[in-house]
Amino acid sequence: MLVSRKLNKGEYMIFNGKKRHLAVAAVMLATLAACGDDEKAATTASGDCKELTGDAVTLAVNPWTGSAVNAQVAKAVIECQLGTPVEIIEIDEYATWVGLDDASIDAVLEVWPSGHAADYQTYITEKGTVIDLGLLGPSAKIGWYVPKFVVDEHPELASWEGFQDPALAALFGTAESGELGQFTMGDPSYVTFDEQIIANLGLPLKYVVAGSEAALLTAIDQAIADNQPLLMQFWKPHWKHLEAELVEVALPAITPACEAAAASGDGTYACDYPVDELMKAANAGLEAKNAAAFNVLKAFQLTTDQQSEIAGYVDRDGLTAQAAAEKWVADNPDVWGAWLG
Amino acid sequence: MSLAAPVMSSSVESLPTHESDAVRRDRMRRRNGSLAVFAVLAALAVVFLREVPSWMDSGIQRWAQDRYKWSITNRQTSPVFRWLFNPLTDFLTWSVEHTETLLLDLRWPGVVALIAAIGWRTGGVQAALAGAGAMVGVGVIADFDPAMRTLAIMTVSVVIALVIGIPLGVLSARSDRLERVLRVVLDTAQVLPIFVYFSPVQLFFGLKFAPAVVVTVVYALPPAVRLTNLGLRQVPVVANEVGHSFGATSLQQLFKVQLPLAKNTILLGLNQVIMMAFAIVVLASLLGTGDLGQSVLAGLQKQHVGQAFAAGMGIVLMAVALDRVSTGRPERPLSRQNRLPAVPRNWITPISVAAVALVVVLANAFDWRRFPSSLTYDISSPIDSAVDWVQRNLRKDVPIIGGTQAISDFLVIRVLNPMKEFLLWLPWLVIVVGIAFIGWLSRGWRLAATIAVCLLLIATMGTIPGGGGQIQMWDHAMDTLSQVLVAIALSVLIAFPLGVWAGRSDAVHRVLRPFLDIAQVLPQFVYLIPVVFLFSIGRAAGVVACVVYAVPPCIRLTALGMREVPTSPREAAISFGATGGQEMRRVQLPLARKAILLGINQTLLMVLATVIIAALVGAGALGLVSYEATSKPNLKFGQGVAGGLSIVLLAIMLDRLTQAWGTRPNREEKQSR
Repeated sequence: MLVSRKLNKGEYMIFNGKKRHLAVAAVMLATLAACGDDEKAATTASGDCKELTGDAVTLAVNPWTGSAVNAQVAKAVIECQLGTPVEIIEIDEYATWVGLDDASIDAVLEVWPSGHAADYQTYITEKGTVIDLGLLGPSAKIGWYVPKFVVDEHPELASWEGFQDPALAALFGTAESGELGQFTMGDPSYVTFDEQIIANLGLPLKYVVAGSEAALLTAIDQAIADNQPLLMQFWKPHWKHLEAELVEVALPAITPACEAAAASGDGTYACDYPVDELMKAANAGLEAKNAAAFNVLKAFQLTTDQQSEIAGYVDRDGLTAQAAAEKWVADNPDVWGAWLG
Repeated sequence: MSLAAPVMSSSVESLPTHESDAVRRDRMRRRNGSLAVFAVLAALAVVFLREVPSWMDSGIQRWAQDRYKWSITNRQTSPVFRWLFNPLTDFLTWSVEHTETLLLDLRWPGVVALIAAIGWRTGGVQAALAGAGAMVGVGVIADFDPAMRTLAIMTVSVVIALVIGIPLGVLSARSDRLERVLRVVLDTAQVLPIFVYFSPVQLFFGLKFAPAVVVTVVYALPPAVRLTNLGLRQVPVVANEVGHSFGATSLQQLFKVQLPLAKNTILLGLNQVIMMAFAIVVLASLLGTGDLGQSVLAGLQKQHVGQAFAAGMGIVLMAVALDRVSTGRPERPLSRQNRLPAVPRNWITPISVAAVALVVVLANAFDWRRFPSSLTYDISSPIDSAVDWVQRNLRKDVPIIGGTQAISDFLVIRVLNPMKEFLLWLPWLVIVVGIAFIGWLSRGWRLAATIAVCLLLIATMGTIPGGGGQIQMWDHAMDTLSQVLVAIALSVLIAFPLGVWAGRSDAVHRVLRPFLDIAQVLPQFVYLIPVVFLFSIGRAAGVVACVVYAVPPCIRLTALGMREVPTSPREAAISFGATGGQEMRRVQLPLARKAILLGINQTLLMVLATVIIAALVGAGALGLVSYEATSKPNLKFGQGVAGGLSIVLLAIMLDRLTQAWGTRPNREEKQSR
């Protein structure tokens, strides 16, 4: 890439015998750079906040708004009230557990348990390097969704039975699905029973993985722009619900048989998704490292409405997650006051 | 990506100067015999084995999954971690953190001055200006502070790649056997989808900087080894013998004779290492680095294409800056170059050190900590509106072609589906025998055997769940192969005419070049998602993404091949009355054939690099299988490893095959003998 094929002799003097100059240069630069260090004064906000001291507590942020605002609220409270610096690391869901395991992440404030049964088993139950910090508060749910215009035109598609009709299912056809209707799955890392549900309910649908959440969101925009039906796995809460009207398709109610199928992975799952009670998790060493921060994070809770309010500042009003969290923290001292115990 | 850059093409095999009739008859007889062997094999394949038999499953998936599980359980206690990985992790993190602090303390004017100073040293005033300009551009378009973090990760990775790569290159220049082994290892390292080693790297090196450096080094190391090896092997025999006759020891020989003579090639390797490192920066940011690469990802996750593009251009500009100062490429002859600064060469270092020092002192004194916001320019809003316009207007109801949606459907229904179905319909052994036969025609038995081994190994990768049952990895490999073949065909169709045109017209070349430079460093992610805006989710979007990535190098190498044809035969043709078109078809194109075929080899590697991440826009197949090693490692790591190895095997097979075409003697050479 970007390679010149014309190489003339003697152009690379930097590697020649002038190492003395380079060494002098390096020393000078290092000295100068060191001069700049003492200027790194505390840049924390003014007011009655405590000064930041001690080792930072690291919180993981997974790539969705809810996760970011939880962490930023916790950061604002812990930094100001406890004087403990909080570092945020943006990382994907599965890598989070590896970080919790080796303490490069101290805590994560929003875990969707349905996708992490195996991680819970490995790290919390078996190894004991990670501990359950209790519930976050909001509940979430994965499900099948269609744009609202689909249900307006074909009310029977509000329920899974409507998809048994090959003619109706074919409305969702694409080049990839051929004669069948297409069922679109977003990021393959999310928990999914969709292939099993389709097979076990005998629906004329083809399961297609879009590959990423971004690709799925684009598909939603296109479907609405073109009035082209789209059936997909989606979930609540999600910021997209603010700008796109999506309707959840009813699936058969959860039965004990389905719960057993989910646990055993025998491929007979044929029900709706369970409700996810969002939870928190921390490295087992956090309490010893910083008991005050540990207690705040353990007590940390938001209601669904509170979380949506802060996420709305971000997704609707265009604030950064940090600004949104600081605004909410300033407005709601009674809520976070309770976490300080 | 370069498994084999053109510079590495092995020399043309020597042909007998003339053939007697007896020799020719003997050769014909052997050829007929071989044809018969392939025909019998193919017939047997049709009769006996339509599907990959289950006994061929090597169990590699379960093996890899068990190793992964073991690492999770033992990472706190095992001595390998405590005495090797953990100290290494601490060292890497420490290096990156301190480099970042240093860069931030230089302040942005200091960094720009430093780049300019290096550029001045290596390539004169022009390189200095280009480097400094590009660096200022980073601040104008993207955020400077995250860019410094990217630069810190790049710097540490490049230094480590050189520290490991150059000695390896020296050793492999001295041993043919080591060279052969390393070649396979390096090819594998470069083609193995990063998704496959993502999860293990996290287990071994934790999160953030250390694993990001490791991933970057794995990817950027090969050119350092290859080009050092190549440079040393190109040292003239005479030079070595002179050294010997003066009684130089082996080490003296290496440091006083060989390395200095190979310097230019090794420095080309440095440049390649830097470019490879930049190619991986966005993927490495998946490890939580919080740098410019992560801004690209974050922008795409929120559908803010403009933001992603701005950060992506920041990466491009930084790569351009480092490219200019590391090659120091003078556009004009050196003599004119040196006249511009009337400074003796040995003054350059003291002057630049003083200048950089002055800038740093000033920057610190006036506290120019942040890049001034008055200088920044927001390119994200115009990009967003442009993308929006394109999405609204090009997808449907375009006169004649019908819009990208129609192209997308055509690609899937008329091209990709028939291709895939054909490959799946053929009995698997027929494919093995058939492609091996093509290899035999191209280069003989050795290549045929390589191809057959690659394909047979893919058949040992087992099955994975899907479609309500189990699907052979072989079937996924054929799906990927069909996408790769279509993408290559489309890339060549688009790039070849443009390359020929650029090879014959300086004006076209000048216009295309900046676009080609940008396109080659722009992270694939920046356009991966926008491709979905135009071509709906699925294989069509994946193929288009591959084509977008593969076309620029194909154009570049075609143009280069055309330009390197000596002028004398072309002028001779014209003077004998050939028209321009005749001269091009009869003289220039045939003489450029080898270079163009090597360009196709590069195109292939570009396509293979992209077909994996095309899984993120719905292309499925092996890309998706290996992506799941990252996304659900606790369940699917083993599958991902098997899928990733299948890609490596496909890549090695296709690489060796196209390389054989590129290095086959020209027809003219044969005839003239």
